[in-house]
Amino acid sequence: MKYLKAASVLLIILLIFFIVAVQGGFLGKDEPAVTTEKTKYTATFLDIFDTRTEILGYGTTEEEFTEQAELMKERLVFYNNLYDIYNDYEGINNIKTINDNAGVKPVEVDPEIIELLKFSKDMYDYTDGRVNVAMGAVLSIWHEYREYGSNNPERAKLPELSELQAASEHTDINDMIIDEKNNTVYLSDPEMSLDVGSTAKGFACQRVMDYCRENGMDHILLSLGGNISGLGTRIDGTSFRIAIQNPDLDSPEEFIEKVDITDGQCVVSSGDYQRFYVVDGKVYCHIINPDTLFPAETFAAVSVLTDDSGKADALSTALYNMSLEEGMEFVDSHDNLEAMWVYHDGTKIYSKHFEESIPK
Amino acid sequence: MKKNDIILIISILVITLVAVLGLNIWQRQNTNDSAMAVVIIDGEEYASYSLSVNRTETIELPDGSYNVLKISDGYAEVTEASCRDQICVNHFHIHYSGETIVCLPNKVVVEIVGGEEDDVDGFTN
Repeated sequence: MKYLKAASVLLIILLIFFIVAVQGGFLGKDEPAVTTEKTKYTATFLDIFDTRTEILGYGTTEEEFTEQAELMKERLVFYNNLYDIYNDYEGINNIKTINDNAGVKPVEVDPEIIELLKFSKDMYDYTDGRVNVAMGAVLSIWHEYREYGSNNPERAKLPELSELQAASEHTDINDMIIDEKNNTVYLSDPEMSLDVGSTAKGFACQRVMDYCRENGMDHILLSLGGNISGLGTRIDGTSFRIAIQNPDLDSPEEFIEKVDITDGQCVVSSGDYQRFYVVDGKVYCHIINPDTLFPAETFAAVSVLTDDSGKADALSTALYNMSLEEGMEFVDSHDNLEAMWVYHDGTKIYSKHFEESIPK
Repeated sequence: MKKNDIILIISILVITLVAVLGLNIWQRQNTNDSAMAVVIIDGEEYASYSLSVNRTETIELPDGSYNVLKISDGYAEVTEASCRDQICVNHFHIHYSGETIVCLPNKVVVEIVGGEEDDVDGFTN
């Protein structure tokens, strides 16, 4: 009997524990009952830089994350309006205002425009002229033909070389006169115009991430139309993992490679698979080689891994316009710069240390 | 305490255990089933479809433009669209939580909510 009594007491205690455990959710769910952990959230915006913006972050509540994402969006919209070459915004002098006043007068602009243009000039020197924001006159011709060709595929045409050559007479970046003291920019050649397509997105991405860092934010991944920049790591301390899109859209494999990025690292790809038009069955992409004035076509895509998003954006364009040998030499001679070239047949070529970023 | 009391207690224990395990399994199955393809137009949710039901839906916009969404075998894809860039049609099918297909001209986003997670945080395009 004594033995029975002890057993029943034990059973009752067990039962109580059991009920408490079930109520506490220890057995019913996979997650622990403690809910102070931060949850992962993402936000997508479609109205910035004519592309898609994705923000990945963490918050104790969704509101906490949304607040952060809205702050970032506000900054991005600010840069979007400043760096726009097609639209006017009330009360703002932007790149379009500078273009509209080419040969007319210097335009007073926000210091962030001055910063972008100085950076763009640096990139011009850095890449030996392969990234030239003063190439607007040539790029706008291609833009027109591409728009028309996309809307009327059966009547798509290529611009005449003579037309392009005439325009290329007005692409001297030294005619872009920056007056830092008075915050003005003046294009001294009335026929020239700025097209910041190869630097603005990356530069804005970097500025916004710098802003986040200065304001104590952490664990953020920003993708501005594929210009990807990481701040810190995932909340669990592991690296953010980025997939690189397969330029072959007919392949069953969505991604051609994956890379893990460390704090502050940036990835971007340039390729012929997203913005292009087709003339007589041949694809013509939006990246125009300053030497030939025609779309580059050696590679399907080039991806760049480096520590600054603006640089990443400019250099992926530059490498896309170079031969493999030139590009490899360029990458090897610069610190913190790695690249992957993808040919149209899917062949991948890595720079020396690129593979160190590929997860095992 | 009688022998019957013990039998009662044991029975309660067993029943609770079965109930908890059953609930657990039911929840798990439910999570796998709950992956949804959510269609968002210009920031507003338009519709959401379970990934476990094969179907083809035409998303029609007021101005006459459209995207055709196909769900089959747990994957969502846009098979046809009125937009001129066709980026959404060229996009790969999506399945994992958080993946999206975006049609910029039509301001249409198809996003997977819930379901399986993959190991990728972002992607270049």
